[in-house]
Amino acid sequence: MKAAVTTRVSLLILILAALCLAVMVPSGPSRAHEGHDHGAPPPPVSTTIAPRADASSEEFEIVLVARDGRLQVFLDTFRGNEPVQDATIEIDGPEGTVKAEPDGTGSYGVAAPWIAQPGDYALAITVQARGTVDVLTASLTIPAPVAASPPAAGRWAAFVDGVLAADLRSRAAEGGMAVYGALAIAFATGFCAALLLRRRPAAAAVLLAFALVASDGARAAPPSGAAPGPAAAVAARDIAQRFPDGALFVPKATQRILAIRTLFTEERTYPRSVELPGRVIPDPNRAGYVQASVAGRLAPPPGGFPRLGARVTAGDVLALVQPAINATDATTQQLQARELEQQMTLVERRLERLRQIQSVVARAQIEDAELELAGLRLRRANLDRAPREPERLVAPVSGVVASVQAIAGQIADPGTAIYLIIDPDALWVEALSFEVRALAAEASGRLAEGGALSLVYRGSGLADRNQAVPIQFGIEGKAGALRPGQLLTVLARSTEERRGIALPRTAVVRGANGQSIVYAHTNAERFVPLEIRVEPLDGDRVLAVSGVEPGRRIVVQGAELLNQVR
Amino acid sequence: MPQWIAAALALMLTVGAALAHEPRPGPNGGKLVDAGTRYHAELVTTGTTEVVVHMSDANDRPIPSDGFRANAILVVNGQTIRFPLQPAGGSRLVGIAPVPVPAGARGAVQITSPQGATAQARF
Repeated sequence: MKAAVTTRVSLLILILAALCLAVMVPSGPSRAHEGHDHGAPPPPVSTTIAPRADASSEEFEIVLVARDGRLQVFLDTFRGNEPVQDATIEIDGPEGTVKAEPDGTGSYGVAAPWIAQPGDYALAITVQARGTVDVLTASLTIPAPVAASPPAAGRWAAFVDGVLAADLRSRAAEGGMAVYGALAIAFATGFCAALLLRRRPAAAAVLLAFALVASDGARAAPPSGAAPGPAAAVAARDIAQRFPDGALFVPKATQRILAIRTLFTEERTYPRSVELPGRVIPDPNRAGYVQASVAGRLAPPPGGFPRLGARVTAGDVLALVQPAINATDATTQQLQARELEQQMTLVERRLERLRQIQSVVARAQIEDAELELAGLRLRRANLDRAPREPERLVAPVSGVVASVQAIAGQIADPGTAIYLIIDPDALWVEALSFEVRALAAEASGRLAEGGALSLVYRGSGLADRNQAVPIQFGIEGKAGALRPGQLLTVLARSTEERRGIALPRTAVVRGANGQSIVYAHTNAERFVPLEIRVEPLDGDRVLAVSGVEPGRRIVVQGAELLNQVR
Repeated sequence: MPQWIAAALALMLTVGAALAHEPRPGPNGGKLVDAGTRYHAELVTTGTTEVVVHMSDANDRPIPSDGFRANAILVVNGQTIRFPLQPAGGSRLVGIAPVPVPAGARGAVQITSPQGATAQARF
């Protein structure tokens, strides 16, 4: 019974506490009423960054940073986050219209002595750049230094952060503070009563003692470390930081260093892609082997063997093959030579006799003998020369020497490739498809190290190879540093279509939990990670099918660097 | 269990209703936008040099413009023009632009309330 009563009492106390909180804590959305431009302004990020204001239009995004009596102005394009260098910027502030001048570091600067005075300043910024004129409005709040605030408020500031303290101060000025004070005291009293009811007087006593000490301590010592005053220590440089919810605050200066660029997302229809394993092969019409047709000893051509990687043109002599003569061949040759010599002697004798009796024999007989002798002499000479004439190995195509097996003196067998000549500007890609698909003519390839190739469909085989059908693609444009045999992923487009948002592959990074995320640029200096689901699209891009909607600014350059901000 | 109820109650009470408003057509034929947290302003430009701003409160009820001061920065034909606006009876603030201002002109108006607080409206 008693337990039931205490439970009911503690429930009542908790509801009372909740009411106190509800009244005291400023609610987020209703604070978002100021600003108006693009939803809620970011909450105060840290007490050590310089006071700042941002504004954006459809064209531009501007950030004003107040530091050391100057306003630093960062102007970027809204959609791409590219710095705008050649703009004319005029600021209508508390001291009339002033012009911001480029400060040589990609931003603009203007003297603003009024930022020494705390307060809210309404600034209208006129930007003239890239053929358009735009007027943006921003509200710059210079927080009051802690020392200048009344003692009562200072004590509160020890418990809550500067903004909440400022809010409480304003409420106190309106005269409502007494009510909150009474509520807080009622809450504390009730809590102690509950502890007493639950027979925990020790805890209640400790709590009371703590409350007394805390209030005294706060009055005596200024807050240090954990909650410095808003204007107490503005660092010389703002640093990027990550919030507990994963969102990032990245000052414009850091964004410039990291070269953050964004893409304005649009939904479109794209052909569905199929990923196929592929490898680079030489174009069969622009590559060739150099082989000897007879067995023989290799000898270098006059300029020496072409080295690996040398550029050769079709018809260049790459090597000489001295045909080897074995013992049988040599004997046969000798035999032939003797026979020929014998015949030559006989014909010579006959010719001599015929010439002596010229007057009685026919002229034709003498001419026949002369011709026969000439023929025999030629055959004898050929027999001497023929085996010693080397075979000239010439390049069948123009290209680069891709492989060399040539060593002087080596015996080359007919059928072995001595050189492989490849034209590096004429390479193909052969992919293996495990199912038969209708493919569009255009395709793309993605290399393991991140490069992308533009491919065009050439043809597909029907003969099965490793349970797959080979499909060949030509490489469009400059192939770059590719080598035959290199492995790559071919993204062939099928004739099916699907809708989604195309994002560069560089935009998608791995979150701490291993999920694929992209960073959305929500405010000028704020980035929010979004979990997305992607499908392959082509070599450079992926298709985001869920997790990101059209009309957002997604970081496409520097996402990996943003992901490292802790 | 009671803690959950209390937390839910606290959450319900803290969620405010008012969200930022987009520019919308005003009752006087101009563009109505929010000016700071406390006022709404409607800019009426009719192709003449006279530019009128109608002041209203956060619930779109007209408020007297006495004591208000305003400064307009408008973009006309790619040029920026600046001129002051003065109270002209009722909720109106009237200024004379150096050049005729077409209807639907873009720009901003900086408004100073009788108490000295500043607010801006971007059209």
